[in-house]
Amino acid sequence: MKIIIDDQPIQCKEGDLLIDVMLNNQINIPHFCYHKDLGIDGNCRMCMVEIKGAKRPQIACDTFVKEDLEVSTVSKKITEVKRSILELELLNHPVDCPICDQAGECKLQDYYMDYGLYDSRQTTEKTKKGKNIDLGSNVVLDQERCVLCTRCVRFTAQITKTGELGILGRGDRARIAVAPDFPLNNPYAMNVVELCPVGALTSKDFRFKQRVWFLDSTKSICHGCSRGCNIDIDYNETKYGSEKVHRFRSRRNKTINKSFLCDYGRLSYKELNDVCDKKSSSIQELQQAFINNDKKIALASASLSWEQLDSIKSFCQKNDIELFSLPYIDDSFGDDWLKTNDMSANFNSVKKLEISYDEKRFQDVLKDSDLILNFDHKYFKNENKSDKTLVQFTTTSCSENYDLIFPIANFAHDTGHVINCDGIKQKFFSTKFRGEQITLTQLLEELR
Amino acid sequence: MANKIIRQKIVSKNFEIPNSHKIDVALQNGRYSTLDKAFSKDPQELIEMVKQSGLRGKGGGGAATGNKWQFVTNKDGTKYVVVNADESEPGTFKDRQIMEFDPHLLIEGIITTCYALGSHVSYIYIRGEYEEITEVLQGAIDEAYERNYLGDNAKYKVDITVHRGAGAYICGEKSALLESLEGNRGNPRLKPHSKTEPEWYFDQPTLVNNVETIATIPFIVENGAEGYRKFGTEKAPGTLLFAISGQINNPGVYEEQFGVNMLEFLETIGGGVKNGKKLKAVIPGGASTPIIPAHQIKDVTLDYECLWGFNSELGTGGMIVLDEDVCMVKTLKNLMRFYNHESCGQCTPCREGTSWSEKILDRFMNKTATLKDLETLKSVSTIMNGKTVCVFAPAASGVIDGILRHFESEFLECIK
Amino acid sequence: MSFIFNEQNNKKIEELTKRYPKKKAMILPILWLAQKQEGYVSNEAIKEISKIVEMPYMHIYSVATFYTMYRLEKSDKPIIEVCRTLSCELNGSEEIKKYLDNKYSDKYKIIEVECMGACSGAPMCTLEGKYIENLTTTKIDEVLNGK
Repeated sequence: MKIIIDDQPIQCKEGDLLIDVMLNNQINIPHFCYHKDLGIDGNCRMCMVEIKGAKRPQIACDTFVKEDLEVSTVSKKITEVKRSILELELLNHPVDCPICDQAGECKLQDYYMDYGLYDSRQTTEKTKKGKNIDLGSNVVLDQERCVLCTRCVRFTAQITKTGELGILGRGDRARIAVAPDFPLNNPYAMNVVELCPVGALTSKDFRFKQRVWFLDSTKSICHGCSRGCNIDIDYNETKYGSEKVHRFRSRRNKTINKSFLCDYGRLSYKELNDVCDKKSSSIQELQQAFINNDKKIALASASLSWEQLDSIKSFCQKNDIELFSLPYIDDSFGDDWLKTNDMSANFNSVKKLEISYDEKRFQDVLKDSDLILNFDHKYFKNENKSDKTLVQFTTTSCSENYDLIFPIANFAHDTGHVINCDGIKQKFFSTKFRGEQITLTQLLEELR
Repeated sequence: MANKIIRQKIVSKNFEIPNSHKIDVALQNGRYSTLDKAFSKDPQELIEMVKQSGLRGKGGGGAATGNKWQFVTNKDGTKYVVVNADESEPGTFKDRQIMEFDPHLLIEGIITTCYALGSHVSYIYIRGEYEEITEVLQGAIDEAYERNYLGDNAKYKVDITVHRGAGAYICGEKSALLESLEGNRGNPRLKPHSKTEPEWYFDQPTLVNNVETIATIPFIVENGAEGYRKFGTEKAPGTLLFAISGQINNPGVYEEQFGVNMLEFLETIGGGVKNGKKLKAVIPGGASTPIIPAHQIKDVTLDYECLWGFNSELGTGGMIVLDEDVCMVKTLKNLMRFYNHESCGQCTPCREGTSWSEKILDRFMNKTATLKDLETLKSVSTIMNGKTVCVFAPAASGVIDGILRHFESEFLECIK
Repeated sequence: MSFIFNEQNNKKIEELTKRYPKKKAMILPILWLAQKQEGYVSNEAIKEISKIVEMPYMHIYSVATFYTMYRLEKSDKPIIEVCRTLSCELNGSEEIKKYLDNKYSDKYKIIEVECMGACSGAPMCTLEGKYIENLTTTKIDEVLNGK
């Protein structure tokens, strides 16, 4: 059906929420408490719009579309309402911007620039509450900054069903807290930092590390397990040149991870900064190793991309090396939501490319082999070399126990595809700077 | 033309009888006598009777009771009847009289209401502070179980459970009450889009009615819709337990038909202003209703429509009388302190608005306020009106507007 | 030092379970039972209630802090609540509060509350929950010293 928003006709379906229609059509609609994956709460009152025929302004998050609905978000009356609600949200808000991590991605700042720009007329004291409270699981709470949108409370109540967060007290003394003896403790706890529209919940891991306006982003896929949650990699170039990844943020994917990541995956960005700093061995050295060693075996990490696995397969076929790839199974890791027991990112590609994952055969061939080509698999990174010749193709630092080493680019500095546990093929993109390491596909080209 | 003061008693007939709360005394004085008549009618017949009687909710809202019953009965599901005995509106202390002095009337009303709606489960949500009254009420309920008016062996099975609140005015708001009854914080719910929705208790259709409203039902069953309409006005038939407090000679609860003149009521029944002082203003229906200055009171009749015409509300009919020496700034500060204390804190305009209003009034109290503060107070009142989840903040807004409309000069005097 | 309900209260809880469609609805009544048994609502009591109604600890704790009548800290003195809302203030509740503070604050814990629904007996207070209306300084002395 058709509705009219600010004199523009917009198409929508029966049963759509007005706020969803506006967000999907990139219409500016300020809001705090509504979230696509948490539903409606209707408490912030920031999304009020003027509807023709309605006596009072209505909240867009609780309005269903009707044929020929006429909505205004820019009339004088509704602009004044938005300004007033914003003024009330900011009334007891501490002016912490200079020390608040949220600055630059804070909804209060954004809405103030869009609908505020007024001089404060507050002549009374601000209400004081707790600051810098450690909730556990890397989450820090500042009760004064909180606008009581209850997104975090609804997350722990409805999504993780662990119920650690709640509101204490009432009125303007109401504040978010965890109960004594019951800190925030679930595998998805850090999502509340991302859900929080203001700087009330911040990440201890990211605290005071970097201003967000200096960060660039690239679309990527988390490689922590086979779920393939969509992420944005936030990174920049540090002062003396080498690039640093600062954090992962979730990227909304309706089918796979909605707007959430598990804490393990979220913090797995640290691996991307653990690059191998060794000087690469030469092609001649590798060729010599091939000549010196007759029986060869290759093991590829099941977290490498489709393109990487494909080029390894060609390389191994050409050089008559038996290739294996084993997933990282941890039965204690998986749960009934995002986390899977298979902690490799691309095992379905291994299967589709028909690379062998027969563990028994791998052990048998390994026993008779003299030369091991380890394509970034954890099995050989720090141990298990025994007396064989080990050639490391590695994205991260590893033990000194190798014969030849070829540092390669990790998934932040490479582009490729991974297939997740449900068979969905997804593309991840490299950051701007591409790092110093060569990508594996390029390297194998050179080694031909 | 105002109605005459006739001291008509519909729900307060037994209040003066000693031990009226005991079942044997109650039975001797007519209690439970209307049940057979009710059970002889079809439930829908009873609902029509209540509709025709024009009975309006006596908890402050004044909504048509019969319609509310119809909305519940129109839905499928397990029906619940919840009696709102949270009575926390300042200046209101009428429902406690029924529960203390004629609880069997309330029980009789509940049984009839449950029969009319096809419900077998009823809760009485009583404010936590009424601990002593709860004991009396529970005692009466236990007696009713013993005599098989309630429970498995009754003619129509009804179970009544008394559910004590714990100190939250907002739980008198019907959706907040149901949230509290479900075991949550008393946050009011978003209002439904359809005007014919009943309330919902754990997703089942539920009726929420005030104590006095339910207590009126036996009279209507006995005397019919016409019997009830004999009193009151065309739009507000029947009686109300009016209350008077403040600076009045005879504070108390007095049942009277709707439509009598307020000044006459205060002078004859209330005995006039205490200590021979002059009347300055009256808050007509509990602290949530806008104030009416003395010079207007002679034209006010105690019914809903008339008070709307004075930019005010009848509310619960709990009149608070203020004499010539009362400072209006202090009065507004007292009321806003109440609002700030009782706000549930869920939505932004109310949570921040009530708190800011109280803080600004402190500046008026210690004479550090400026003209800008007065402007700010007025605009805070505007943002609290019509933009919140429930009517708590609009009521606060009405209180501020009412006092500033008639007594702004006292605020200007506090400005340095 | 964990908390368990005494036998009488356990029976009451069993009875309550039959009267509500879901266990969670019993949170307020059970909080009252805990407060009656111990004199206040302790963290241990909340843990026990959380088990009985099968809700997270924080939910019970959050509900308990919403309602002003649940005492989350033990008081070593009997509690007097003085009403401070309009009808009582118009009839002198401020003077009553000052008098109580000056004379009885060492023996009693004196707090202010909002309208208690006893406006015809203004000014009023409660002593351990019992209403005392039509207060004068004399009446206060009589009641508190007579105890």
